[in-house]
Amino acid sequence: MINNLYKTFVDATRNVFNLMLHLSEVSDHPGEDCKCDDEVDIAVSIVGDLEGEVIYRFPVPTSLNMVNIMSGMQFEAVDDFVTSAISEIANIISGNVLTELSASDLKCDRLPPVQRKPDEDPNKDKEYELKTSCRINTSIGEVGLEIRLNRV
Amino acid sequence: MLVNTGIQFDPQTVNLFKQISIKMIQERDVSIMLWKDQYKLGVPVIDAQHKELFRRVDSFLQVLRSRDSWDKKIPQINETLEFMKRYVVEHFHDEEEYQKSINYPGYEAHKKIHDGMVNYVQEVCKQYENSNSNEPLMQQFGGRLLAWLINHVAAEDQLIAAYAKKKGVSGSDK
Repeated sequence: MINNLYKTFVDATRNVFNLMLHLSEVSDHPGEDCKCDDEVDIAVSIVGDLEGEVIYRFPVPTSLNMVNIMSGMQFEAVDDFVTSAISEIANIISGNVLTELSASDLKCDRLPPVQRKPDEDPNKDKEYELKTSCRINTSIGEVGLEIRLNRV
Repeated sequence: MLVNTGIQFDPQTVNLFKQISIKMIQERDVSIMLWKDQYKLGVPVIDAQHKELFRRVDSFLQVLRSRDSWDKKIPQINETLEFMKRYVVEHFHDEEEYQKSINYPGYEAHKKIHDGMVNYVQEVCKQYENSNSNEPLMQQFGGRLLAWLINHVAAEDQLIAAYAKKKGVSGSDK
């Protein structure tokens, strides 16, 4: 299952974007990063049979578009409301992945999502058995996904 | 049905009141930005409550995000929070009763999700009271509530509808 983790995360992201944001065209680009100047990084730590973290990189325009779709309101800047809403989306995607993993007897839990500044990454140089990233393209902008996990 | 006063009401009377309130909610001319028809489960009592929940969250967000000063918003925010505390518990209870009535296999897991949200709402309300109406806390609550509610109704609750349809009990308002 650990070999399929990348696909599990991408599929979960695609499903959540489809259900919550009604985005039907979602493509993934393995190994590529988001091209943006300003972003909101949300880290979700994983504990249990797998340990590590998943970082969701939401460029500011994508974040604002996501919250606009959900609320029907216009947002001009990232604030507490926007950060909290997209953190919950990262939490939901991670939760769905862990549900999938439990079907393969991988028992994991997640910690509440935390916002992290892009230049403050305490685990950047840490070794991980599974370390992969991708850029996800949608009609409302890009999202970056970085998965860093070790088997326990 | 037991209520806080300790009075026991006749179940038929309670059901009659519920039916009347569902009809009132359904007939109300509501323009809810958050609500989408695809969220309907096909279970009248739950659909009516979902619509009411979305209507309340919608009006909460309108106030929360308006350009008025925070002091001006506080009375309406407080009023909606009081409603949410009561209504979320009542709606989750009714939805759980419905799940039991159709022997929904995901009942325990679904109840756990409900309990988690009830605890979160109560905890935030407590923090909000203790913080003397802190705005950033309420903005965070609003953002999370919005995403949680949409996912819960668009994904988790649809599983109940799919099961009810499969068992041929959809459209029932037991």
